[in-house]
Amino acid sequence: MVFNSYTFIAFLIIMLILHNLPFSWKVKKINLLLASYVFYAAWNPPFILLLWLSTVVDYFVGRALYTQENKHKRKLLLVLSLIGNLGMLCFFKYGTFLLDNFTHLVNLFGMDFHPAKPNIILPAGISFYTFTTLCYTIDMYKRKSEPVKSLLDFSLFVTFFPHLVAGPIVRPPQLVPQFETERKASRQQLMQGLLLVSLGLFMKVVLADSMLAPTANDIFWPGGAPLKTLDAWTGVLAFSGQIFCDFAGYSTCAIGVALCLGFVLPHNFLYPYAAIGFSDFWRRWHITLSAWLRDYLYIPLGGNRNGKIRTYMNLMITMLLGGLWHGANWTFVVWGALHGAYLWGEKIIQDLRKKPVMASMHGVPSAEVGVLGTIPKEFKAKTFRNFIYAMITFFFINVTWVFFRSPDFHSAWSLLTSMFSSVPKAEAYLTTLSIIKVMVIIVFIVAFHWLMRNTKVLTVAEKMPWWLLGIAWSVLLILLIWSQESSSSFIYFQF
Amino acid sequence: MNSTPLVKAGILTVVLVAAAVISWELYVRSKGYDTSYDDDPALWSDKRKMVYEPADKSTVFIGSSRIKFDLDINTWESTTGDHAIQLACVGSNPVPILENLANDENFKGKLVVDVTEGLFFSTSPGNSRRPNENMKYYKEKTPAQQASFHINHLLESQFVFLNKEWLSLGAQLDKLDIPDRPGVYHFHGFPSDFGRVKFNRQEYMTDKMAADTNIQNKVKNIWVTIMKASKEPPASGTKLDSMLNAVKVAVDKIKARGGQVLFVRTPSSGPFQVGENMGFPREKYWERILSVTGCQGIHYADYPAIAHFICPENSHLSQSDAIVFTKNFIKILSEEKGWKFSKPVQP
Repeated sequence: MVFNSYTFIAFLIIMLILHNLPFSWKVKKINLLLASYVFYAAWNPPFILLLWLSTVVDYFVGRALYTQENKHKRKLLLVLSLIGNLGMLCFFKYGTFLLDNFTHLVNLFGMDFHPAKPNIILPAGISFYTFTTLCYTIDMYKRKSEPVKSLLDFSLFVTFFPHLVAGPIVRPPQLVPQFETERKASRQQLMQGLLLVSLGLFMKVVLADSMLAPTANDIFWPGGAPLKTLDAWTGVLAFSGQIFCDFAGYSTCAIGVALCLGFVLPHNFLYPYAAIGFSDFWRRWHITLSAWLRDYLYIPLGGNRNGKIRTYMNLMITMLLGGLWHGANWTFVVWGALHGAYLWGEKIIQDLRKKPVMASMHGVPSAEVGVLGTIPKEFKAKTFRNFIYAMITFFFINVTWVFFRSPDFHSAWSLLTSMFSSVPKAEAYLTTLSIIKVMVIIVFIVAFHWLMRNTKVLTVAEKMPWWLLGIAWSVLLILLIWSQESSSSFIYFQF
Repeated sequence: MNSTPLVKAGILTVVLVAAAVISWELYVRSKGYDTSYDDDPALWSDKRKMVYEPADKSTVFIGSSRIKFDLDINTWESTTGDHAIQLACVGSNPVPILENLANDENFKGKLVVDVTEGLFFSTSPGNSRRPNENMKYYKEKTPAQQASFHINHLLESQFVFLNKEWLSLGAQLDKLDIPDRPGVYHFHGFPSDFGRVKFNRQEYMTDKMAADTNIQNKVKNIWVTIMKASKEPPASGTKLDSMLNAVKVAVDKIKARGGQVLFVRTPSSGPFQVGENMGFPREKYWERILSVTGCQGIHYADYPAIAHFICPENSHLSQSDAIVFTKNFIKILSEEKGWKFSKPVQP
């Protein structure tokens, strides 16, 4: 089920009614769990079996990891859990990719090997819930937190429908305690939640689907004709806006829906297009994933504790795997590699300036702590110089989106060529209206991110006069109704 | 945060949104709009699942926009007593859908294939995009999407402003006349009075369109622009042979299961008709479809009862002519092609 559908609106209304009826807390939790399964099964019913398998296995393995005293047995249990979770992810997400690459490789060595194409369907949200359950078993192994007391609470932690399909990726300490005592949204939380849902749907339906996606789709067309520089940049900017509005729209809806039920989910986006530098970008973009990669990959690899060379290697490995997490294609690996290279560049500059900013790497994820440490104070001020830095960062981020969105390297290279040179026989393709739409929205997004970079939507809403907030909220909803976009799925569902 | 300002803002939002929606609804009704359904993959899929109805109770129609306008489904169903299942897609090549039905072992019914040669013999991917999207949606549709479809149907049947093609934000912006760079093709959309879509997927021309020559001329100009933009020459030689062979293979599969296939060439007029006759001479295209597949066919020009229509914008029949066309089409099917219907057709 997608948030931007009539089915979900009906589903949410039913859930709000059920959640506010005078049932016991246990009954309400069972309601939430069953509803979460309905939410998931409404997309593709058979894959619910995988979700159950993952939940049950990790619940019992997690408990055993925590209570088992024998070191060898604990390691064995951890390895079993990692193989189970990552094996499932590898089969469904990377099976075809691995087979294709193996086929290419053996054919290079002269073997005539052409296996049948496996028809593997990717279960929605597998990358997200696998990371959610993985962090639980790793935490249990490290005894960082107590095991979840009941299978019901653990199932709800994994399956809670607002975050199930596309995050935010939650950690046990962030959500499990909320299931232990009765939660019911206050009137304030309900209104905040509805405001966030409206904003998230506006971002997804009006900006991403209605205004930006058609232009991005036109330009990222495999084997398309050479483009003029203006068309190429417009297409890339359109995708830049689309991917943000699509994914941040989903996260905003997820946080809003959870709030309507009285639960608090972590932030996933903090105005990333106003980031100053690339480590700042990763503190602001898909925060729960970058924090996960930091805590469960970068730091276990050694982080910055084993010298400069190892730090650089660890950064690159983290970003390459982060790229691969997004999809089974070498273009995603290159996208990750570019980000890794950017972080290298930034670290070199930091080292040259001899102002290393070390961060505390413990505790729950925080937007303030990226792989390169905390945000330097001088970058928090909204000065003109910082704005220029933010625009330079935004420029480089746009280059990475070319690899993220292009179906293959040929298309990516062709688009990059058009962006940075005048291609002979290039065609003007986009209408003036498309260009105006993209430019107006991108300027609006960047300006909004810059103005909001040190605050949050709900904080600003609190300060607004009620009538002004009401008018702004109405505009969002009127445009949402007026756009009449069908319920297309979110881009991150495919990851 | 004190909840009162948020609650006040929420109440104001409800009032403003309700006022805006009601005002917009009343405005579009005052402008003569009436209910029109979004002809999207969900609506197509709803009809696609009906093709397994008994062959003696239903007929499936595929093709492009002409059969959607020219076949009046109410007339068909009231005259024959049979269900008409409309699977044609505007601006599209029907062959992918023909092949889809041919490869569906459970489809054994009656099939009418509308032939608009410029689309039927096209290999342009753009002309197969819509059928392919529809078939993909039908194959992959989720329970949630089906539930949304039913809620959407309920809302679309009540609110005229829910009309994506003419009244959505995107459609309104597309109407803006902003000059484009040389070489850029900008389709501003058809005039909003051109047609409406019923829940059974029939399209019908509005009375305003049928009466107003200004609007008709706008549509005629769009046809001219589309034809000029088309860089695909009519298929011939081995390319044409292989297209016809693919159609034969599909038709043979349906026939082998006891199904029945008939081709129809619906009317066109004016320069459109002249252009089609020049680009796709009848003996080289229409006649070959019938000879290669061994199917029955009805070409409008062969039957005086359906040869006299003037299409207001040269390509589709008006609503009143569609009723006459359908009645006569049924008569020809019954009297000359031997088709049997649930209700006896009056001579």
